[in-house]
Amino acid sequence: MAGDVILGYDGQEGSEAALGTATRIAAAFKTRLVIVFGYRPAPIGGDVTDLARAVRAVGERITSEALDAVRTLDASVTAEVELVDDRPAEAILRAADEHDALAIVVGAAGRGPLTGALLGSVTYNVVHRSTRPVVVVPAPERA
Amino acid sequence: MGTETLNPKGGAVESKGLKAGALGLASATVVGVASTAPAYSLAASLGLVTAAVGFKAPAIMWLSFIPMGCIAAAFFYLNRADPDCGTNFAWVTRAMGPRTGWLGGWSSMMADLIIMPSLALIAAQYSFTFFGLDNLAANTWCTLALGIIFIMGMTWICVVGIELSARTQMALLLTELIVLVLFSVVAIFKVYGNDIHGAVHPAMSWIIPTHFGGVSAMSEGLLAAVFIYWGWDTASSVNEECENANSTPGLAGVLSTVILVAIFMLVAIAAQSVKGADFLSNNSDDVLAATGHLVFGGSGIGRIALKVLIIAVLTSSAASCQTTILPAARTSLSMAMHRAFPPKLGEVDPRHLTPAFSTWLFGIFSCVWLTGLVILSRATGGDVLSWSVNGVGLMIAYYYGQTGIACVIYFRKHIFTSAKNFFLVGLLPLIGGLTLAFVFVWSIKDMSHPSFESPPTDWLGVSPTLWLGLGTLVAGIPLMFWWNQHDHAFFRVKTDPVDQRPPPEGGEPLPPLVPEGAPR
Repeated sequence: MAGDVILGYDGQEGSEAALGTATRIAAAFKTRLVIVFGYRPAPIGGDVTDLARAVRAVGERITSEALDAVRTLDASVTAEVELVDDRPAEAILRAADEHDALAIVVGAAGRGPLTGALLGSVTYNVVHRSTRPVVVVPAPERA
Repeated sequence: MGTETLNPKGGAVESKGLKAGALGLASATVVGVASTAPAYSLAASLGLVTAAVGFKAPAIMWLSFIPMGCIAAAFFYLNRADPDCGTNFAWVTRAMGPRTGWLGGWSSMMADLIIMPSLALIAAQYSFTFFGLDNLAANTWCTLALGIIFIMGMTWICVVGIELSARTQMALLLTELIVLVLFSVVAIFKVYGNDIHGAVHPAMSWIIPTHFGGVSAMSEGLLAAVFIYWGWDTASSVNEECENANSTPGLAGVLSTVILVAIFMLVAIAAQSVKGADFLSNNSDDVLAATGHLVFGGSGIGRIALKVLIIAVLTSSAASCQTTILPAARTSLSMAMHRAFPPKLGEVDPRHLTPAFSTWLFGIFSCVWLTGLVILSRATGGDVLSWSVNGVGLMIAYYYGQTGIACVIYFRKHIFTSAKNFFLVGLLPLIGGLTLAFVFVWSIKDMSHPSFESPPTDWLGVSPTLWLGLGTLVAGIPLMFWWNQHDHAFFRVKTDPVDQRPPPEGGEPLPPLVPEGAPR
């Protein structure tokens, strides 16, 4: 469906806050929320296939918890999960194209701009390669 | 492979055939070359190759690529036949049965373990050298301490899942290659300009693969050189992810091969022309630092160039450490998922999405292993670095050789169906497999004498290298029987029927090795 909101979700730091924001955007624009989880590990290090399968199993659990969280936050939002056989950033970008997304919502994992560039963070990747609006949600400050 | 959509009720729905992630030609080549870690590989083994074959080191460099290239064909086609299982452990199990397969997985992890001391100590030595702390670099306990810190640091990086972006990786690799070329070109210029005392002009005979000085010398040289190319196969086994799975991996394989063979030969020729082959053998622990010092000199631009060379070795060891820890942890995860290992090892950490438990276990084992070896080498006299490289060569010869032979067995019904099949899944893997099997057996024969080491080192009548290389392999057998008592499911796996599938199309995914819910 065109105009969906895409949420890149991996259950890590920052994901939680991004989930809240994405739910609110989806509710405000009355669109569907698609929770995307890319489960393919880095090719460097070889032996990818079995690890991908194991990560996918974890992803199933993480995203179903996310789905519950969305329903708890706002029961009026229609949400669905997509588990994608790809690196996380690629998964998000592809899903966004596939759904002709209104916007992509991702969490900022707390890495600075330089480390993000050197270490290839998912958020950095998505922000710089997306052709659509990207909402980056910072993790709440730790006390 | 496409996307799967879970509807809100949780059932899986097939989606619209999105194509799997794309790995471009450049990235695939970078993965292949970076996984081989040229600067570190040369630093660790060039001196050992010259110790075995003298000035014939450049010839060994290209000769040893032949069995490796042959085995890559086996990796490529086995991966095609069974893309659902990404490890040689699974393929060997399908072709040759669960016990052989189990030992195959075990041997690949032991190869990773054996090389860790070399990685850690070289990283430590070159770090000290970088800061001009040469007396610390020569101190066993200081390098051990820094080595342990290095291993634990790299393990942590693997657990947390930090990875370099493609661009950073490319930049590091280019620096590494450029500085190696610079080193070689400057060295050769100075040699011809008679700027270095004791230099030897390069000769055609260096690259001609004859007169190695005996089968044992050649086999020892091959063993060390096989280690140099170790990791290169990654480029060919990541084929599923390439943009065009039919041509990209092949082309990336060819490109990374040309780059690697050229750089290894060039550096070998340059380094041994600086002061002769014996100089490299005598400085085998820090070959590139020692020759780099002579080539670049100690002042001005030369000083900076030397620092860059040392940085290249350091980043290369770090990269190599990562490509050693990751596969070890992934293989043990894989084996646990197929019930060949305890289930705890198959767990993925939900926070980092990595096999954290397997990774920490491997890191800790590596530190214990490193410490033990350093203490033993102090007590008995001997060189941990040469033990590690020769020992790992033996282990690589075992598991690569096994993969080559598994390929021939797996596809035995299809070898004579076309000329292409005959070469790619028959002849090449067979040549690779038999060559490595020969090197394996011949090396065991040589290593069983204490005189294999220099100085001769005697551990209960045989050389330490044999204990490392063969001892760790044999140690797996009781473990395998122990696990067989606990959970027999994996050991009931039958080899695939011979006419399973022709290469290379693959087709429907193969059933899992162990059916879900199989009894113990």
